[in-house]
Amino acid sequence: MFLTPEIIALTIINALFAVFATIAFVNAFKIVLKYDATATTAYQYALEKKSYLSATIIKFIFYVKIPLFIFFVYTLDDLSNLLPGAMCAAGVVTATSYGTPLLFLKIINLYVFAFWIVLNNEDMQYENQPYLKQKFLLYCVAYFLLMGEIILESVMFSHMDINSVVDCCGAIFSTTSATYMAKILAISHPVLVGIFYGTFGLMVLFYLLKNRYIYGVLNIVFVIISLITLIAFFGTYIYEQPMHHCPFCLLQSDYNYIGYFLYIVLFIGTFFGFVIGIIDFNAQEIQKRFNISLFYNALYVATVSYYPIAYYLKNGVWL
Amino acid sequence: MIKLENVSKIYDENIKALQDISLEFKEGELVILKGVSGSGKSTILSLIAGLSKPTIGEVIVDGKKISKLPDHFAASYRRDNIGIVFQKYNLIPELTVEENVLLPLFPLNLKREIMKEKAARVLEKFTIAHKTGVMVRNLSGGEQQRVAIARANINDPKIILADEPTANLDEKLSREFIAILRELKSKKRTIVVSTHDPLFFELDFVDRVINLEHGKLL
Repeated sequence: MFLTPEIIALTIINALFAVFATIAFVNAFKIVLKYDATATTAYQYALEKKSYLSATIIKFIFYVKIPLFIFFVYTLDDLSNLLPGAMCAAGVVTATSYGTPLLFLKIINLYVFAFWIVLNNEDMQYENQPYLKQKFLLYCVAYFLLMGEIILESVMFSHMDINSVVDCCGAIFSTTSATYMAKILAISHPVLVGIFYGTFGLMVLFYLLKNRYIYGVLNIVFVIISLITLIAFFGTYIYEQPMHHCPFCLLQSDYNYIGYFLYIVLFIGTFFGFVIGIIDFNAQEIQKRFNISLFYNALYVATVSYYPIAYYLKNGVWL
Repeated sequence: MIKLENVSKIYDENIKALQDISLEFKEGELVILKGVSGSGKSTILSLIAGLSKPTIGEVIVDGKKISKLPDHFAASYRRDNIGIVFQKYNLIPELTVEENVLLPLFPLNLKREIMKEKAARVLEKFTIAHKTGVMVRNLSGGEQQRVAIARANINDPKIILADEPTANLDEKLSREFIAILRELKSKKRTIVVSTHDPLFFELDFVDRVINLEHGKLL
């Protein structure tokens, strides 16, 4: 194990998260089991107060988690300077067996906590707080995901060894390695790109048809296919190298930090998309979220599409 | 109109401000809550205003369960239905009379002209219009009282709550305040006054006097 200022900062914040999240969890658990909107006993009023406290804690965790996720990715990128063999965050993530599940868990948690915030905001729109139990039940699940993330992160940092040589992204995201990633990268590009644009086309169609359920499901498909096509196809045009498939090098200054922009835009677009498939907002709110989702998803499509088109116009060939 | 059902309020360190109180105030009634300091008068006003919640029991106003409202809904309810006159007026001394009176209107996002028009009308009504641009800190106690009443009435509330409104006034100014109460009562406002000032107990337009002691009805 080794410590850097970034790892120490992340560890301290995680410890704070663990304490506050546990306080909120204990309250949330009591609310899920005992809350009765009609009761006027001392216990119920105490639970109401605790619900405000817990909601404030959960919001605090989420609002810190967003910049913290970016800081975490930055830290991984920074640590690549210390691990022999690593060229970017990809080498750090795969330096231990905990990195990849941790990264997926962090992304899932971002969606879960963002969804919790939306559910909480919707709940607070009504005097009778119709989603009160549901939102705290969701938090009880989110709590275990968060604790899992904190434990995984601690274990990952503690298992890193600066004396061990790790793989660089060129090896990890190679078409010739015997990994799932290699199998994905081996899929024909026209097929992948066709699925990508086809999914986006369906999203536009169901946006026009105002079918929020199918639109919500399509957003989940879209985030997956977007990440795959970014690694397999669009990324190579950002790097202007046919064999460079790393999703992390995009975050470096050499590529104008375009990765941060792409991932944030994709997160906002797909998050607003899948939320309208789950929560029954009023018509005006649904339309607003439809518009936000389609705008950001379209912005993502336009941005990633720019790179191959610009490359072709400049060079007259595809990679 | 206003109902308190089996309400108890227990503060920290087990201080029992109210003990299993049930009360009802009818629309247009003027009710005096009488009792010594610590008898629970102000706590009742605070519960009706939605400023605090009971420890046990329920507060219902116009069929709405005020004690079960989330805080931001309680604030909206208070803004739309309640005018409060505090013992120490709770004015902002660094603002002018007009600015103080305008404060409850800011969350409504009204046009500036409409707000000023409302302020002018209410200041005129409570005979303090001649001090419109004066800083509140430069006013006498009686004038500050009038500003507080004007502020409490700017939203034309159905319910007026006054907490020891004459505690800082001499007898002449207290009688002026009582005259204002009579006028508000004639306009069918529901008024609840918490006081131990004997002036209130001999008034002919008071509907009821409720005696409180140690958080219980006598």
